[in-house]
Amino acid sequence: MMLLRTWMIMWKEFRQIARDPRMLAVVVALPTFMILLYGYAINLDVRAVRMAVYDQSRSPQSRELVNAFARSGYFRVIAYPGNDREVTALLDGGRARMVLIIPARFARRLADGETAPVQVLMDGADSTTASTALGYAADILQQYSSHVALEAARRAGLTAPATGQPVENRARYWYNPELRSNHFTIPGLIAVILMMLAALLTSVTVVRERERGTIEGLLASPVRPLELMLGKLAPYVLIAFGDVLLVMAVSAVVFHVPLVGSPALVLALAGIFVIAALGIGLLISTVAPTQQVAMVAAVMATQLPTVLLSGFIFPISSMPQAVQLLTALIPATHFIRILRGIFLKGNTLAILWQPALVLAVIAVAMVLLSANRFRRTL
Amino acid sequence: MTRTRGEAAVTISGLVKTFGRFTAVDQISLTVGRGEIFGFLGANGAGKSTTIRMLCGILAPTAGSGTVAGLDIVRETEQIKTRIGYMSQRFSLYDDLTVTENIEFFGEIYGVYGARLARRTAWILAMANLRERQDSLTGELAMGWKQRLALGCAMVHEPEMLFLDEPTAGVDPASRRRFWELIYAAAEQGVTIFVTTHYMDEAEHCDRLALMHRGRIIALGTPAELKDGYMAGTLLEVRAEPVMAALERLSSLPAVREVALFGSALHAVVGGPDEADDVRAALDAAGIRVERLAPARPSLDDVFVALIEQAERGA
Amino acid sequence: MNLHRILRLMKKELIQIRRDRRILAFLFVVPVVQLFLFGYAVSTDVNHVAMAVLDEDRTAESRALIRRFTASGYFDQVAYLSGQREIDALLDAGRAALVLRVPRGFGHALARGRGAEIQTILDGADSRMARVIAGYTNGVLRVYGGEIVQTRAPRARLPAVDGRVRVWYNPELKSVYFMVPGVLCMVLFLITMLMTALAIVREREIGTLEQLVVTPLSAGELMLGKTLPFLLIGLIEIVLTLLTAILIFRVEVAGSIPLLFALSALFLMTSLGLGIFISTISKTQHEATLSSFLCFMPFILLSGFIFPVENMPAAIQGVTYLIPLRYFLEIVRGIFLRGVGMDVLWPQVIALAVFGIAILSLAAARFSKRLG
Repeated sequence: MMLLRTWMIMWKEFRQIARDPRMLAVVVALPTFMILLYGYAINLDVRAVRMAVYDQSRSPQSRELVNAFARSGYFRVIAYPGNDREVTALLDGGRARMVLIIPARFARRLADGETAPVQVLMDGADSTTASTALGYAADILQQYSSHVALEAARRAGLTAPATGQPVENRARYWYNPELRSNHFTIPGLIAVILMMLAALLTSVTVVRERERGTIEGLLASPVRPLELMLGKLAPYVLIAFGDVLLVMAVSAVVFHVPLVGSPALVLALAGIFVIAALGIGLLISTVAPTQQVAMVAAVMATQLPTVLLSGFIFPISSMPQAVQLLTALIPATHFIRILRGIFLKGNTLAILWQPALVLAVIAVAMVLLSANRFRRTL
Repeated sequence: MTRTRGEAAVTISGLVKTFGRFTAVDQISLTVGRGEIFGFLGANGAGKSTTIRMLCGILAPTAGSGTVAGLDIVRETEQIKTRIGYMSQRFSLYDDLTVTENIEFFGEIYGVYGARLARRTAWILAMANLRERQDSLTGELAMGWKQRLALGCAMVHEPEMLFLDEPTAGVDPASRRRFWELIYAAAEQGVTIFVTTHYMDEAEHCDRLALMHRGRIIALGTPAELKDGYMAGTLLEVRAEPVMAALERLSSLPAVREVALFGSALHAVVGGPDEADDVRAALDAAGIRVERLAPARPSLDDVFVALIEQAERGA
Repeated sequence: MNLHRILRLMKKELIQIRRDRRILAFLFVVPVVQLFLFGYAVSTDVNHVAMAVLDEDRTAESRALIRRFTASGYFDQVAYLSGQREIDALLDAGRAALVLRVPRGFGHALARGRGAEIQTILDGADSRMARVIAGYTNGVLRVYGGEIVQTRAPRARLPAVDGRVRVWYNPELKSVYFMVPGVLCMVLFLITMLMTALAIVREREIGTLEQLVVTPLSAGELMLGKTLPFLLIGLIEIVLTLLTAILIFRVEVAGSIPLLFALSALFLMTSLGLGIFISTISKTQHEATLSSFLCFMPFILLSGFIFPVENMPAAIQGVTYLIPLRYFLEIVRGIFLRGVGMDVLWPQVIALAVFGIAILSLAAARFSKRLG
């Protein structure tokens, strides 16, 4: 009997979702759009920074330096301004992010064994891109500097190692050897999408029924609160799993993101996360007086922390200490760690038990809290 | 006093409105005189609201023509809007404005300012009996009060015509009676009232009625005319015991065209008054105890049930 | 157009907004929370890199090299490993982002004037962070290498290139300077679009829109009366964001504030137009919110608010030209950070005006049609 009633409510909820084209857009189109965007369009790496060169030296050495910038792939030379006014115009108009100014006496100083200064003007407006680009520029300059120093040392008859650098670094990148940024973002996207769905969809279900007055009809019926809650949430759980599978399929087929670990573990832990997310959605739904408030609260309380504070894009280690503590309260923080661990590193529960446990605790707390509120609002 | 000023407040001829393949209003024509209370009846979806919306200039007719207050409903919609008041079936004032703010808002939208607005506001507050609550939020008022306030707002610019689309839906009987007193008072002032309703007792209050069914007007006249003229046959009121057995027996008689339960009695329609004896005989034969069997004056309900069934059969 | 009626409608709208505490809270909380998050909480700076050391050499040279790393300020040594097998567990659990391995023979090779080799193993999962860490590592090694070369040839005068960096517009490279203009655009966009759509749809839902339609109010007056209050609120929202940014986050506006307001008003044509448009395709407030969200997402992601447009593939960069928010973002950042004026920003201003007029007139046409 209980199963039947739960089933009836679930069926009603399902049909309401299926009849609303916006809901379908949110459930199918939005996740697809987001994964394509993050997989294809959004690149966290800084590449091909637009650069201008004001070369006053016009020497083989200066050209060699400019070549070193162009060859690195991090910079793209787009203009050769001939005076300071042009330099300023390029930066002001945002056409060039960086200007390299090589003074007239550059080659001469190098030949004399002196330190030759060059000027790097960086558009610091976008501080993230700027600091990364500055890092690359400093790296290229140092590389060039040690190159000319070694050349000079060799000419001076020094028995330096023919290989060049005295200390050679053999760097290896684990888990993501080609350093593809979408391999980093796509697994985390599962958490973001699930949270978004939970927030947008469930947060309004209870309020909507209350606003339309249909909740009284349900309450007058023999449906018990628990059945009502299960019936209302079940369709969203199914939708959520559908979306997890969708993202996993697209990430493997289109973007070749490796899934080193166990897909079953992904799904199992996604289940816990979905429960936590729906619990939050339901909690908001029971607390909010109107649909409007529910929507806004859902976005504020779930979307922003999930996208910004969970480590999805912005590294947690770069946040201020107080904010880092806050991130531990966000379910997505733990789930994203789990997702990346399983997808890229092949982690098992032996390593992931800690975030999994925290996630489970949050899920149970959310469900208890929202069930309690749910009963009281009815 | 102005009820018979002769000049028409509304004229419609051959009015049609289609939405895609669906014909909501199908070739209707009628005339409403100044100061008349004109009732518009029909089931949901019969085309009442669509007709009203065309008359108010919200909806352009697909075909046909009409005038409201002497103005063309296709070309002069803007002028019409300043001369009419409209109140819809849903309570549509702003819950989060106070009573006075609502009145002032609609007043100024209709171009009523200054001293005239103050006078009208006072009049509406008095009419709706809201003087003590003039600074309450409208959302806090009971439904009956809201309804009267909505009527007041619809009349803030002293329109010569009022369109009321199911104005009393969801209001308790006492408030409904008060509301109708206000409508009478407005009509006394010479305001033409065009009202749709579900309630037959309200329909009795109207000077004239039109019954709409599937986009057509299937009956038009005063309540008395409708009761007398439109009913083909004679209505018999039957009180019998057991009533359900009587109902069953009557519906199987070929002489009885229609039969329906009406309160604790049965209403049966037969060809003429002389068939009453046959009916009584049939009931007696079936062992049903007849307490009363006499021709009765049909109520509007009877008339409309009969008319709609006729229309259905005809269709 | 009857000015009196428009003003009356605006007044009503403002009374309603003033009465709704939730809206007021929303208007105030949104910019502050966003500024806090983007200005204070998140940044992409990489520092305190968790580094593990596996020193198989254990010589004075290897210890000197490791000291170079720890003294650079970029790296925090979190573990000292005793064997290669420990690397796996450490990186798998994400406890270190970098393992510095100094193989046996490192010190010996250097002491004999030969080239030596070290190995770094990086957690590449966060590709951007890995690149930055690799950059730091190379920097430390180059400086160290340069000193070794110099000590081997003490009398030789070795040339060097010295990059003297000057950062314009945001010399301290604070991400808050970059984010504040973005937050301003986003908040303005979200609030004006959503609130306009909701204000209209709400009247439709409660039936007052129908009531207004039978009044002499024309579609144009109705639209102006419903949107102008949000233009006003949008401008107030800018003031609020600016004050928070200036007083709390100490951001300075390099350019002209009147120009900022004028061009914001230009952008509001787009966001109010979208709000009107959404109101015409939504029957309920819930639908309107969902539609706004569906419209908001691509705008934010493709405008360059967080992810720079220039890093996107060429095809997607083409798409971003269709996002009016992109131009507004460039304008606001230009005025805020570069202090530039119309002489530089005119192409963006023209694009924004074209989009604004197109969107607003399309929305207006649809709105008038829907009313009929």
